[in-house]
Amino acid sequence: MILLVRKIPSVMSQLLVRGCPHPPPPVDPLKNNEAIALQGCTILVVDEDKAQCDTLSAILRHEQFKAETADSGPAAIARYAEVQPDLVLMDVVMPGMSGFEACRELRRIHGSECAPVIFITGRHETKYLIDGFNSGGVDYITKPFELKEMIARIRTHLSVRTLLAQQRMLVEKLSRENKFLGMAAHDLRNPLCSIRGLSECLLEGLAGKLGEEQTSIVASIHEASQGTLQLVNDLLDIATIEAGQFHLHIMPIRLSELVQKSVALNGMEAARKNTSIVLQDKGTSPSVMLDADKIHQVIDNLLSNAIKYSPPGSTITVAMQTTPSEHVISVRDEGPGIPENERDRLFQDFGRLSPQPTGGEKSIGLGLAICKKIIQAHCGNIIATNLPTRGCEFRITLPLDPIP
Amino acid sequence: MTFNGKILIVDDEPHVRLYVSMILRSLGFSTCIEASNGREAIECYEREKPDLVLLDINMPVMDGFETLKQIRAINHEAVVIMLTSLANRHSVEESAQLGAVYYLRKDTPRLVIINELRDILQSAFDTDIPAPSPAP
Repeated sequence: MILLVRKIPSVMSQLLVRGCPHPPPPVDPLKNNEAIALQGCTILVVDEDKAQCDTLSAILRHEQFKAETADSGPAAIARYAEVQPDLVLMDVVMPGMSGFEACRELRRIHGSECAPVIFITGRHETKYLIDGFNSGGVDYITKPFELKEMIARIRTHLSVRTLLAQQRMLVEKLSRENKFLGMAAHDLRNPLCSIRGLSECLLEGLAGKLGEEQTSIVASIHEASQGTLQLVNDLLDIATIEAGQFHLHIMPIRLSELVQKSVALNGMEAARKNTSIVLQDKGTSPSVMLDADKIHQVIDNLLSNAIKYSPPGSTITVAMQTTPSEHVISVRDEGPGIPENERDRLFQDFGRLSPQPTGGEKSIGLGLAICKKIIQAHCGNIIATNLPTRGCEFRITLPLDPIP
Repeated sequence: MTFNGKILIVDDEPHVRLYVSMILRSLGFSTCIEASNGREAIECYEREKPDLVLLDINMPVMDGFETLKQIRAINHEAVVIMLTSLANRHSVEESAQLGAVYYLRKDTPRLVIINELRDILQSAFDTDIPAPSPAP
């Protein structure tokens, strides 16, 4: 074994000593969770016997805890309010107010925020111990106690308390951040809609004919605003899903109507990229119970993806079919397909793959993750398959009666 | 082709009012009145008696729901279309309940907005409005 001794400059060592009054104890296997810092936690020791209090306090201080004492139930309640301990070690048999009563009172005053109370008792009978748990205690140590057992139990309950506090804090932080993201995204959407819309007006010559250079500048503005608007909408969707506020609004709708609407909506963009969309089976499909807006969003997304990755002159085929067990909608393109080694990432958040959009469009890789969540919420499925020729097929299946 | 219908656009953002007036212009409606919040909108409504109102929801001073309520109190037949970036179900239901005839989202593609507005305006003014053709 090699022992490394590093010389600490004298001023430094004084600082260290001042900052840490007790030398750190050697590593103990009973310290159950080293990831959670428990040093400096305050423990309130309640015992009518002053000598007992002092012994326990000395042990606790040696373990890097802060120890406070009280010699009766009422004193414990008063001291608790002053020092706000992280844990209470409570003797049970005390004159006047028993430890069980004091514990009950602490729980009544401080509610769910109350520090865990561990009883120290000389009695072992189960019924008696259950009384202790019923009064709100979390654990008990029987006298004469084993030092290491006591410390291990204290550490466990301090860890639980620390983790619960952290969890509460994180949940609050997450919901605050989600709310903030939602608000920011919402405020960004307004101006982006105007930038996109007004640049379209310019491109269409509604404010006079543009020269070649002007057209290309305005086209850039339009494209950038379109991409950013998509990003903002996707982020809002993800924020809603993450915040658990994703609810379906189910109503009867004809799937064929939704699909036709999407095809019509995307026709222009397809034409711009010299790609055509063919809709197979224009027959009316039966009415289905689903969230029309969200399913529309999914079909739209699959179509705009197909357009994004389609080479010029290719065809996108949309097909609809109702089998005895399910509704099937498929979108087939003639693009590069999905690289097999990247397939896992396809439906993940920000799971952008290596193929590049053929017209320089933006993609951030949230669209398919959102699609999958929407389809799953409908108890359906979405899969992607590479076609033997070229391109790939996205296939949505929805149960005949998607919502039970 | 131009139409004489008077349309009130209510939105706190000047760029949105400009965007909406460009859309209306491409449908042949070039006389638009603008208001930048609910209170101004009420004054405008009483003074100008527009045939149709396009109304935002999130606005300072007085929001779109309160404005809608007051406009409908002045004229129970008022034709009000909500044009908002709010996408939640609650806003849609609240608007319908207060008597808005249509709910349009601002992030809807412009050509879709134009088509839907064209349908609404055709029935509101009981006239045929030709689809706008892009300038050459």
